[in-house]
Amino acid sequence: MNPILLEAVLVCYAFLLLLVEAFNSRMPRRYFGWAAVVGTTVVFFMTFFVDSSKMNPEAGYYGFYAADTLAILFKRFILLVSVCVLIMAIEFAPVLVRYLPVEKPDAGSGEMYSLVLFACAGMMWMASAQNFVMIFVSVELVTITFYVMVAMMRGNRASLEAGIKFLILGAIATSLNVYGIAWIFGTLGTTELPEIGAILQSIDSSLFPSLLFGFGLIFAGISFKVAAFPFQFWVPDVYQGAPTPVTAFLSVGSKASAFVVLMRVLESMLSNSELSSKILFMLSLVAGVTILMGNLSAIPQTNFKRLLAYSSIAHAGYLLMGAASIVSGNSGPAIAYYLMAYLISNMLAFGVLLVVGKSTGSDELVHFNGLGKKSPWLATALTLAVLSLAGLPFTVGFFGKFFIFSSALQAQQFILVGIGILGIGCGFYYYLKVIRAMFWLPASKEQSISSPIEISKPYAVMLILLSISLIIFGVYPEPIFNLIP
Amino acid sequence: MQLAIFWIFSVLMLLFAGLVVVMRNPVASALSLVMCFICLAGLYFTLDAFFIGIIQILVYAGAVMVLFLFIIMLLNLKEEVARRLKLSAFFGGGLVLCGFVYAMVKAVINLPEVWQTAPKLETGGISDVARIGFKLFETYNMPLQIVGVILLVATIGVVFLSSRQLR
Repeated sequence: MNPILLEAVLVCYAFLLLLVEAFNSRMPRRYFGWAAVVGTTVVFFMTFFVDSSKMNPEAGYYGFYAADTLAILFKRFILLVSVCVLIMAIEFAPVLVRYLPVEKPDAGSGEMYSLVLFACAGMMWMASAQNFVMIFVSVELVTITFYVMVAMMRGNRASLEAGIKFLILGAIATSLNVYGIAWIFGTLGTTELPEIGAILQSIDSSLFPSLLFGFGLIFAGISFKVAAFPFQFWVPDVYQGAPTPVTAFLSVGSKASAFVVLMRVLESMLSNSELSSKILFMLSLVAGVTILMGNLSAIPQTNFKRLLAYSSIAHAGYLLMGAASIVSGNSGPAIAYYLMAYLISNMLAFGVLLVVGKSTGSDELVHFNGLGKKSPWLATALTLAVLSLAGLPFTVGFFGKFFIFSSALQAQQFILVGIGILGIGCGFYYYLKVIRAMFWLPASKEQSISSPIEISKPYAVMLILLSISLIIFGVYPEPIFNLIP
Repeated sequence: MQLAIFWIFSVLMLLFAGLVVVMRNPVASALSLVMCFICLAGLYFTLDAFFIGIIQILVYAGAVMVLFLFIIMLLNLKEEVARRLKLSAFFGGGLVLCGFVYAMVKAVINLPEVWQTAPKLETGGISDVARIGFKLFETYNMPLQIVGVILLVATIGVVFLSSRQLR
C-alpha cells in the first residue's frame, strides 16, 4: 500500500464524519467520537501494511514526503496519541458542552472529534515532511487546528484567554519560521532537506552567518511547538485554560511531531562539521536553560495542570539535550524512546486529571487530597504516572532518561548532564508533592470528593492499559527499542 | 532607475510600517498598513514580478485590509489611551531587538556579492500566471492540497467559535 494513503484516508474520514454530523442532528454525538476512535485505529493498523517502494518518483508528492522507518514509527506514535485523546474527549464532552451555547444537551461536541483527526493528519504529514514548504504547511495545519481546539470552551474565560494567547504567540512563531525558511532558500536556492544537506557539505564559509540566522529563526519556530526556552511563555496559561484532552494532545502529539521535524532539519544542517558545532552549541544552551526554567518554575505550583505544563517544558529540555548530543550517534533512538515513555506516562497523568477535574470542577492540587482513600485505583494510576515522569527505576520514564543521559555522556556534554541531574532532583520534589496530596494529606469537607469517582468502562480500560504498559516497558524495554530504527 | 524606485518604495514602506505602530487611531493604523502593502507591491513590480504585485494589491491591500477596516468600524474602536511604558519591558524588548538586528546585519554584510545567478527564463518573464499555476499544481501539488485542508479547518473553527447557537 502506498504510504501516502494513510493521511488521505484519515482526512477523508474526518470530512465524512463532519458531513454525517452536519446532516444528522439527532444522532448522539458520542457515536461520532467512537467512530473517530475506530477510524484512527484502522489507520494505525494500516501503517503495518505500507510499502514505501510503491511511491512513484514521478508523482507530485515525491520529494516532499518521506516514508522511511522514522516517519512510519512516528505516524504510529501520533495515531496512538490520537486514540487516547479521542477517548478522553468523549469522557470530557459533558464538561465541554457546559460552556457552549447549545440547543440540545450534547450538541457542539462533534466538531472536536473531527478536529482531532485533522490535527492527527497534520502531525503525520509533519513526521514525513522532507521539504521546508511541506514542513511549513503541515505545521500550520496542526497549529491552526489547535487555535480552534484550545478556545473550544468558548463560554469559559480561561479557555478564550488561552486561545488568544496561543493565537498571537503562534503567529509570531510562524512568521519567524517563514522568515528563516526564506533566508535558507535565499542562501542555498532550495527548500529540499536532502539537497540542502548535499550542498552544505561543500560550501563557502562566508555564507555561514546567513545560514545560522536562518536556522536560528526556524529553530525559534520549532521551539514554540516543543515548548522550549525562548518560546515557552505561552505554555502554562494555554495548558491551564485549554480543555484537558486538548492539553494532553498539545503536550504529547505536538511535541513529538515537532521533534521529528527538528531531527530531520538537524540531519541536513549537520552535514557540515564547522556549521554543526555552532548549531549544537546553540542547542545545548537552549536545552540547559529550558531544563532549569521548567523544573524551577514547577516547584511552587499549586495547580496540577499548571504543574504538568511546567513539567512539559522540562521534558522538552531533556529531549533537546538528546538532540544536542546527536554526535554520539545513538541519541536519535534515545529521543524516540523518551517520547514513547512520555506518551505513556503523560497520557496516564492527564487521564486521571481529567476525571478528577470533571468530578471536582477544578484542577487544583488540594482537590487531590484524600484521593487515595476515595478512589484507590485512580490514585495508584496517577502515582505510577508521576513516578514515571520523575524517572524512577522500574517505570518506563527511567529508561527514557537513562538513554538520553548516556548519549549525552557519550557526546561529552558534561555541563548539560549536570544541569539535567539537578533538574531531575527538582522533579522528584514537585512530582512527589502530588503523591503526598493523594495519600497523606487529609481531605477537608468542602473540597474533597464525597464518593468514589465513576468512570466509563472504555476509559478505565485505557487507563489500565497505559498503567500496565508503563510497568512492563519499565522492566523490559526491548520491545519498544526494537521498533526504533 | 530601478535602484531609485527600489529605494523610494522601500523607504516609504518602512515609514508606513512604523506609522502602523505609532498611530493611536486604529483606522489610521490600518490605512498605513494598506499603504505599506502597496509599497511592497511596488517592490515586486521593480523585480518584474507583476503577478505577485497585483495579487498583493488585490488580496492584501484590497480584500484583507478592507475587512480589517470594517471590523474596526464595526467594533467602533476609539483612540487608544497612552500607556506608561514599563522600564523593564522596554529594556527587555530592546535587548531582543538589538540581538535580532545584530544577527540580521551580520548575515546581510557577510553575503557574497553574487552567490547564485538564476538561469534565464525561456520567455523572459516570471509573472506569467500559467507558469505559476503549473508550478503550484504540478510541483507543489501536495502542499497545495494540505493548504486546502487548512482552509477547511479554519472554516470549521470560525463556524464553531462564532455561531450563536450550536445544533
